Amino acid sequence: MAGPLEGIRVLEITRNVAGPFAGKLLADYGADVLKVEPPEGDPARAYGPFPGDEPHPEKSGLFLHLNTNKRSITLDPSTGTGAGIVRRLAAEADIVLEDYAPGQAARWGWGWDVLSEGRPELVMASITPWGQTGPYHEYLGSEITLQAMGGPLQNNGHISMYPIKLGGNTAHYHAGAAAAYASMLARLRVEMGGEGDYVDLAVYECQAGFRDRRTVYMAAAAYTGYPSKRGGSQIRMGTGVRPTLDGYVNVLGSGNRLPALLTMIEREDLLENPDIHRPPAFVPQELIDEVEASYLVYLMQHTKMEVVTRAQELGILSGAIMTTEDLLTDPHYRGRGMWDTIDHPATGPLEYPGRPTIMSDSPRPQPRRAPLLGEHNVEVYVDRLGFTRQDLVTMRAEGVI
Amino acid sequence: MAKTARLPLEGVRIADVTVVWAGPHVTQLLGEWGADIIRVEPINRIQPFSRGGDSVVTKEQAEAMGKAGQPTGSYPNFDPGLDRWNRNAGFNAHSRNKRSMACDFTTPEGKEAFIRLLKVSDAFIENNVPVTINKAGLDWDAVKEINPRLVMLRMPAFGLEGPYGNFRAFGTHVEGMIGHHLIRGYPEAGPDYTGEAFTADAMAGVLGALSIVMGLRHRERTGRGQHIEMPLAESFMPVLGEFIMDYTMNKRVTEPQGNRHPSHAPHGVYPTAGNDQWLAIDVDSDAMFAALCACLGKPELAEDERFRGQLERWKRRDELDREIATLTRTSSKEALFHQLQAAGVNAAPVNNEVETLADPQLNARDWFKTIEMPTVGTHKYPGYLFKMERTPDEVRLPPPLLGEHNEEIYLDLLGYSRAEYDAMVAQGIVGTTYAPEVLAAAQRGG
Repeated sequence: MAGPLEGIRVLEITRNVAGPFAGKLLADYGADVLKVEPPEGDPARAYGPFPGDEPHPEKSGLFLHLNTNKRSITLDPSTGTGAGIVRRLAAEADIVLEDYAPGQAARWGWGWDVLSEGRPELVMASITPWGQTGPYHEYLGSEITLQAMGGPLQNNGHISMYPIKLGGNTAHYHAGAAAAYASMLARLRVEMGGEGDYVDLAVYECQAGFRDRRTVYMAAAAYTGYPSKRGGSQIRMGTGVRPTLDGYVNVLGSGNRLPALLTMIEREDLLENPDIHRPPAFVPQELIDEVEASYLVYLMQHTKMEVVTRAQELGILSGAIMTTEDLLTDPHYRGRGMWDTIDHPATGPLEYPGRPTIMSDSPRPQPRRAPLLGEHNVEVYVDRLGFTRQDLVTMRAEGVI
Repeated sequence: MAKTARLPLEGVRIADVTVVWAGPHVTQLLGEWGADIIRVEPINRIQPFSRGGDSVVTKEQAEAMGKAGQPTGSYPNFDPGLDRWNRNAGFNAHSRNKRSMACDFTTPEGKEAFIRLLKVSDAFIENNVPVTINKAGLDWDAVKEINPRLVMLRMPAFGLEGPYGNFRAFGTHVEGMIGHHLIRGYPEAGPDYTGEAFTADAMAGVLGALSIVMGLRHRERTGRGQHIEMPLAESFMPVLGEFIMDYTMNKRVTEPQGNRHPSHAPHGVYPTAGNDQWLAIDVDSDAMFAALCACLGKPELAEDERFRGQLERWKRRDELDREIATLTRTSSKEALFHQLQAAGVNAAPVNNEVETLADPQLNARDWFKTIEMPTVGTHKYPGYLFKMERTPDEVRLPPPLLGEHNEEIYLDLLGYSRAEYDAMVAQGIVGTTYAPEVLAAAQRGG
């Protein structure tokens, strides 16, 4: 059985996180993705984590994760020769992904107008911080600044403290997934007999359209004139994040789940107090304190997974606050095959995050490791494009590849 | 330029039995690009946290919550009106381009109608607790007998199988179980200060839509539908790839990161004039640091030995943050944003939703959608995630009122006779409102 994207040829001229994640999603599900790296490599090769914290361009955890199942060539797309090679490669691609500044690819001679001429079936997606147009299109943007202005950063955290961003490169992963989706929408139309398209994707707009509360709160602001605020009511009697013996849990034990919570902490006697059945805002503070005190005693006698397992048995929505160690040792994720082991000549075998989805009739192929820098130069330049090995030496000397 | 291409998902019909946030986001993203989304929703019980009709029932309540910054239960001018389930901001934010059909597939009549719908659909998407669909006899083994060309997407919180298979969880609970709650926390405070987020819902929306398109492509090539399992938790794991690999490479557990960056400094949010006003700054070079210091009126800071070079700045990032914070405190975040960007410094204001609605960039790009709804009025809504040069992105249908499309779906699409339809309406199986006892039960928390 083949991956669902078998037969699709992707040219990925992107760096760091968003574009490479788009390319990874397509590659992991069967597309043939050729990654074009600048001669010095995708900047992600310089980011960690590295084994033993020793930087090495072939050992970056970020790069290795984001570039599985791809091939790599080196090429400087800003040079005249480089642009010519991009045009030749794009002519044999179904989807082109790029992430240079707005208008940059066009100035270098491989913009959408050039690549799509005579090829109505081409799909191209440009990923930029702010989009191709608009008053801020030339502004700088990165994970934290785009989360700040577009996304949910302002309501993350506690009202008594400063706002905090979502973890890692969340905005750029999200934008990358959206770029993969957009590209495949257009490609599906092509395969059904329609036209290709050009996708203008702004990470900023992906954040403004982010389903993590942002769209909901934005519609609410349009309805009422009031914005959301950080923190607040999620800490209620029996509900919210609480400490346990070995970490924290997040439990929804208020409202109609309160009787179950009282069962869990063996305080069903409190159900006989009529005040406990009042709406949350009207429960007397001393009663709240009594519930919370008993709850804390219970929590301090159990591990976080014991609490969650018991809460779930009682039908209470809940989860443990897991560490990355918890994830990698958790029997549920491991038992389901969440982690892939992938060998690599520079790092040896390592565990990677595995599949986001499980498809019954077109399963994701066995993952192949990320490519070494320029690993496929000979295959692409000599075997496919007809350059000689001497040409490669010259181009390398000139800094083109 | 005129957008003349046909919509990519034109002609694709989707049976949508999604609830709460992640599932409806998948069908939102598919509907935006042409799919005919038929939202199947009961009127004889309330789907919790879906149409918002259950939690906030009076104007006073909505106003108190909204003004306190907890707007999930907001209505236009906070007024729930007589049909609050049609007026909820949370529901209406994701429901454009969908049709609504009153149908409860857990009843025999509802299941019959739902099976008819599956026969004329291309995809079936659900994100209920696994047992709900299994008990209704609508798992893949059953569904593929009804329509083998269907692409069926199931989105449990943790998986259809495994120890946590039937764990009940919202986004905020999944957030902890995927490690994200801890990673995004404050370095200087416990996870109880982190606040809730539903980040996995946002990712799952996009990846769910992508997986449907992958399934449809495979079907076009092979003639076969398939079953896709996409647990919320597992679909998010790639987003934390570098932290997961730090553990598998170094057995190092990622500490709460807050606004810290692995190598940039300054990197964070800095207070500006006003109450709870912040500016995000991300500096990744000496030149940018010099420009930042000059813009903030203290160019000598760039020459300070303590902060010479990216590595020294990063090592003394807490000290540096305090210095920067004293310099940003008196200026407006908006003015600093433009000054710093003009000087080549990566900075942006931390904006709330009211500010985002007025943002010049989004408005210049016509990003927002203005939608008129009966009983709700005309409002701005968040736009689509990306623009396509040839493909129209107009909203084709406003968010559906409960059961708004009952007649056209039952009579025209599913082939019910007028008499059969009228009988179902008379029995209270099909309608456009919840019965008073249903609403009363929901208010009691039933």
